[in-house]
Amino acid sequence: MFGNAEEGARPARLDRDRGLVEAARRDPSRFDALYRKYLAQVYSYAFYELRDHHAAEDATERVFMQALAGLPRFEERVDEFIASRAPVSAADSAEFSTFRVWLFRIARNVVANERRRDRRRPVTPLEAAAELSAPGDVVEAAAAREAVGAAWQAVARLPEDRRRAIILRFVDEMSTAEIAAVLDRSEGAVRVLLHRALRSVADDLRGGLS
Amino acid sequence: MLGNGTRDARRTERYLNGLMAADERRAPDVPVDTELDPAIRVAAQALRSDLVRVHPSFRFEESLSARLAAGALRLGSGLPVDAETAAVPGTVAPFRGRSAAPVEEPVAAAFVELAAAPIVEPAAPPAPSTHSRAIWPAAAFRRLPDMSARPSRPFIVGGVGVASAAISIGAVYVAWRHSHPASSRMGRAARAAHGRTGHSGHGRRSGVINGILGVVS
Repeated sequence: MFGNAEEGARPARLDRDRGLVEAARRDPSRFDALYRKYLAQVYSYAFYELRDHHAAEDATERVFMQALAGLPRFEERVDEFIASRAPVSAADSAEFSTFRVWLFRIARNVVANERRRDRRRPVTPLEAAAELSAPGDVVEAAAAREAVGAAWQAVARLPEDRRRAIILRFVDEMSTAEIAAVLDRSEGAVRVLLHRALRSVADDLRGGLS
Repeated sequence: MLGNGTRDARRTERYLNGLMAADERRAPDVPVDTELDPAIRVAAQALRSDLVRVHPSFRFEESLSARLAAGALRLGSGLPVDAETAAVPGTVAPFRGRSAAPVEEPVAAAFVELAAAPIVEPAAPPAPSTHSRAIWPAAAFRRLPDMSARPSRPFIVGGVGVASAAISIGAVYVAWRHSHPASSRMGRAARAAHGRTGHSGHGRRSGVINGILGVVS
C-alpha cells in the first residue's frame, strides 16, 4: 500500500493517511500525529466494548504501543489483509485509511483479549452510561442519560459481530469497506450485519417504549 | 438478482451514508428511500445521537504521548519498543499544535464528541482534534437542529471523585489539627494559661460542648 512504485506488483493507491504514515516510518517521533488523530476513536471503541474507563485506557495504550512497534512492518502486514479490499478509485480511497484499518485490527485483538481476561466486574450498560454525566439541567441530563442508557442496552444485547459493526459504523464512522477490512468480512456480509443489528435495536427500543 | 435481504441491507447502507453525510454538512434532512423500514430509520437516528464518541482524559493523553515518544526514541535507535517501560526521564513529549502554556486539566477529566452537533469552534482550543466533529465542552450546550432534537451534551468520563476526595482530605486535616494543637512555645503558653494539661483537643471540645450545654440549660 505504501510501497514504492518500483515494486510493481503493488498498485499505488491513494490513502488518507499515507503522508502521515510515511513520515512516521521515516521518523518514529512523527507517530504522534497519527496517535493524536486516532486516540479518541480507538479509546471510544475500547470503551464501548469494555464499558470501563480504566480498562479502555489500558487497551488504548496497548494498541498504540503495538502499532508503534509494528510500524516498520506495516507495509507487509497491510498487503496481507487489506490490499485486496482497499478501493482503487480515487474518490473512494480519499475516505479510506489503510492505517486506521490496521490500527483497528490491532484494537479488535487487544479488546478481545481484554474481554476474555477481564472478568473482574461485569458492568451493565446502564452503569456504564451512568458514568457519562451531563452537567447542566438535571432533568434534561437525566432524560439524556436514560436515552443513552437505552441505546447502550440495545447495542450491548447484540451478538458480538453485530455490536462491533455498529460501534465501528456509528461511533468511529467507518465506511462499509473499512468495517469489512477490520472485521475480516466481505462488504456484503457487513451490510447484512448492520441491517440486522439495526432491526434488533429497533425492536429493542420499541419494546422499551411500550 | 438480489434477494430481499440484500436489497434491504443496501437500502439501509444508503440511508446510513446519507445520515453521516448530513451530519458533515449539518443538513437537517436526510434523503430517505420510501421503501426503507421506518423502524430502521428511527433506530439509526437514535444510535447516531446516543452513541457518542468518548475522549480519554487529557492527563492520559499526554501520559501516553510521553510513553510513545520514549518508545519512538528507542525505535529510532534500533531498540525494541517496550510497552511496559515508563517514559524516559527528561524526555519532552511533543505537543504539536498546542501553545507552550501547560494545558489546565479540567475538573471533569474527559468529554466526548457529540453526534450531529453544530460545531462551534472556541477561539483557542486547549487541544487540537483532527476530527471534524470534535467540539469542546464550552461549545457543547447547544441543541441539535436535526431529527433527534436532543440537546448536545458534554459527557464526562473519569475524574469525578477528585473534588469529593479533596473535600474529604480537607475535613480530615481540619479534624486532626483540632485534636493536635501546635507544639510551639505560644501554644504551650496558651494551654498553660488556660490550665489545660491533658489532651488539649479533648479539652477544647469539652469546653465547647459544656458551653453549648450551658446555653441550652
